[in-house]
Amino acid sequence: MPNVGFIARREYAALVRGRLFFVSTLVLAGLAMFVAVLPVAAKLIDRGSTTTVAVVSTDPELSRQTRRVLTSMLNSSGSDFDLIAASDEQTALAQVADRELDAAVIASRRPDGQLAFSFHLGETMGQQQTGTLSLGVFGVAVLDYAAHNPVSGFQQPTIDIFKSVGGSDGERPFDASTFASRLIVGAVFGFLIFITIVIYGMWVAQGVVAEKASRVMELLVSAASTRQLVIGKTLGIGLAGATQTTIVLVPALLVLAGEEAIARLVLGQGVGIAASVSSLSPGLLLAFALFYVLGFALYSLVYAAAGSLVSRPEDLQIIALPLSIVAIAGYGMGLLALTGGITGFIRLASYVPFWSPFVMLTRLSVGRVEPWELALSVALLVATIGVVGVVAIRIYGAGVLLYGQRPGLRAYVSAARGR
Amino acid sequence: MPPGSAGTIGPVTRARVWGYGSPVTLSIDRLHKRFGDVVALDGLAFDVPGGQVFGFLGANGAGKTTTMRIVLGVLEADSGTVTWRGADSRTLPRATWGYLPEERGLYPRMRVIDQLIYFAELYGIPPDRARREAMHWLARFRVPDLAERRADELSKGNQQKIQLIAAVLHDPEVLLMDEPFTGLDPVNVAILREAFLELREQGKTLIFSTHQMETVEALCESIAIVDRGRVVVGGSLREIRRAAGRRLLHISVEGDHRLPWLAAVEGARILRAGVGRTEVELDEGVEPDAVLAAAIANGASVTHFEIDEVSLEQIFIDHVGRPADDDEHFAVGDVPPLDGDEVAAAAAVRRSAVAGDEPVA
Repeated sequence: MPNVGFIARREYAALVRGRLFFVSTLVLAGLAMFVAVLPVAAKLIDRGSTTTVAVVSTDPELSRQTRRVLTSMLNSSGSDFDLIAASDEQTALAQVADRELDAAVIASRRPDGQLAFSFHLGETMGQQQTGTLSLGVFGVAVLDYAAHNPVSGFQQPTIDIFKSVGGSDGERPFDASTFASRLIVGAVFGFLIFITIVIYGMWVAQGVVAEKASRVMELLVSAASTRQLVIGKTLGIGLAGATQTTIVLVPALLVLAGEEAIARLVLGQGVGIAASVSSLSPGLLLAFALFYVLGFALYSLVYAAAGSLVSRPEDLQIIALPLSIVAIAGYGMGLLALTGGITGFIRLASYVPFWSPFVMLTRLSVGRVEPWELALSVALLVATIGVVGVVAIRIYGAGVLLYGQRPGLRAYVSAARGR
Repeated sequence: MPPGSAGTIGPVTRARVWGYGSPVTLSIDRLHKRFGDVVALDGLAFDVPGGQVFGFLGANGAGKTTTMRIVLGVLEADSGTVTWRGADSRTLPRATWGYLPEERGLYPRMRVIDQLIYFAELYGIPPDRARREAMHWLARFRVPDLAERRADELSKGNQQKIQLIAAVLHDPEVLLMDEPFTGLDPVNVAILREAFLELREQGKTLIFSTHQMETVEALCESIAIVDRGRVVVGGSLREIRRAAGRRLLHISVEGDHRLPWLAAVEGARILRAGVGRTEVELDEGVEPDAVLAAAIANGASVTHFEIDEVSLEQIFIDHVGRPADDDEHFAVGDVPPLDGDEVAAAAAVRRSAVAGDEPVA
């Protein structure tokens, strides 16, 4: 089918040589680079700044012990927390409100000996710090109990969290930093697939509408079959999209890969930064490429059919909206899988063809995927592309020569059935 | 004398008329096509002789564009067949046909030469040959400087020329053109007419639809007039005129130009009255001499007397009931469907026509 190649080449050249492509590539590449340097930049900006937490207590020993434990725990991840003693609760709370203090921890002992802590947090204290504070005061309580009930040999425990991800057979669980890196990789991949489908899918639909609006479609359909036109257009625009993604992604990935070295260079030795892409394995890259191509193919076929149904570019948004909502739902579920764990519903969604490019990829990044699950997901996606392709090409064939009048749903159902 | 050929040629809504004098190469047989409730084609059937310029006439909505799209394979008929040299059109390569659609369109931001090469490539022409042919045709249409220009920089007339070049560049056997003369100035109409005749000399079959009867009379050897999805008359233009059975007189007289004495001549009537010249229609069998004799007998001083054939426009009105540029839309129910006998009759007419019979009504 050489015509598919000719059509794809024209579509690719028309897009890549266009001003829109140049500008959008420039903007997206700038954005990606910004995101890539963000962790180092944030460190650089935060360098020298200290988070100050006041510990208010009328019991000097309790105040000292609390500061000692919290200093140790809050600064364990390389942050700079300063724990100071304060005697007046109202003054400390007023300072938190005025942003002079980042937080105040009120520590007291009740008559029955039980320790009581209350946290008053400013805007700089996130969920992670709050969790650490809670854990820290628990340690204070344990040490306090040990001091009053002497036992020998008590040691503060160390805590490590491992996540079981990847394949089930003999794969080593990842430690917390690798898991965090996988979260970032999963989020970036999900985002890339989402914008690929929404942006480049819309390019396909817009291309069809433009050919209808300029009436060049009449010449095209007499020179090539609708199947060649749809596949050629999808291929050409898909390749243009892949070109843009590569141009945008590669420099950003290189920066992320050298993140630690850049951090050392900019911030000096000893300032650690968790590598964002350290978990980017060839397997994950391959899975991304596979779901990127299949996801785009599925959505762009529907976008092509959608484009054939309207005659004016301004009508396209209305008809493309339902499809965009389906894609947004898939992307949302992918994000849910990243942050909320892999539930039964998420597992089911990772097999559903219109969602699997987002959700299965996320699962592969941060969850456990059995080989049969991956095979099922890909097989369902490929089969759906085949069915949707046949229907979309029939609708495209019926739609591209209709101007002005909008045929009823019955006409399109009939076209989709090949009648 | 074949049945129906003695009188006027219509009404022939269920039949085709022949007598082209050339072998039939494109045969369109009882096409039916509906779009929802709208009947676009209702048993449309006609044949096109090879190597001729063929006029496909009808008002808007008559079914011309739908027929062309079915011939091209862009649309599928509900029933009926299209054959070219005996082969089903659906089995033929797309390059058999060249198509100039009624709605002109090119890629606005693409260079003319690039689009011409692109369309030729889709028809299987190598790019170097396509470039050569494109430059030849651009020169033939006296616009070689347009090659490097973008389509959106061209006038409508020039865009139309580029589209026509796109339709002929792959050297198709049959050219289907939907209203090719619309929007062209007289100079470009003349250039296009020359190109048509040149293509015919090369053995191409040209089929075009138009509202412009004078263009058809100047270029076409054969025609089909279509109305409400059916061919109402078709065949060689000469035979259709002859079968119309009437003649026209253009008369100028001194004195009373209302020609009161004409009432005495049976079978003669004023078609268009005029102060300078009056158009008189004569029924079949009425001799022009009778009119002249009546004028002289009544003392009229005749200053101009010209015998003419009935115009194509008049034939169109006779069969369709309105001029070709009258827009009309119709829905199901307006057109009574063919019953089984009528379909059989149409098929029988076609068989006899293919065998080389005279035009029939």
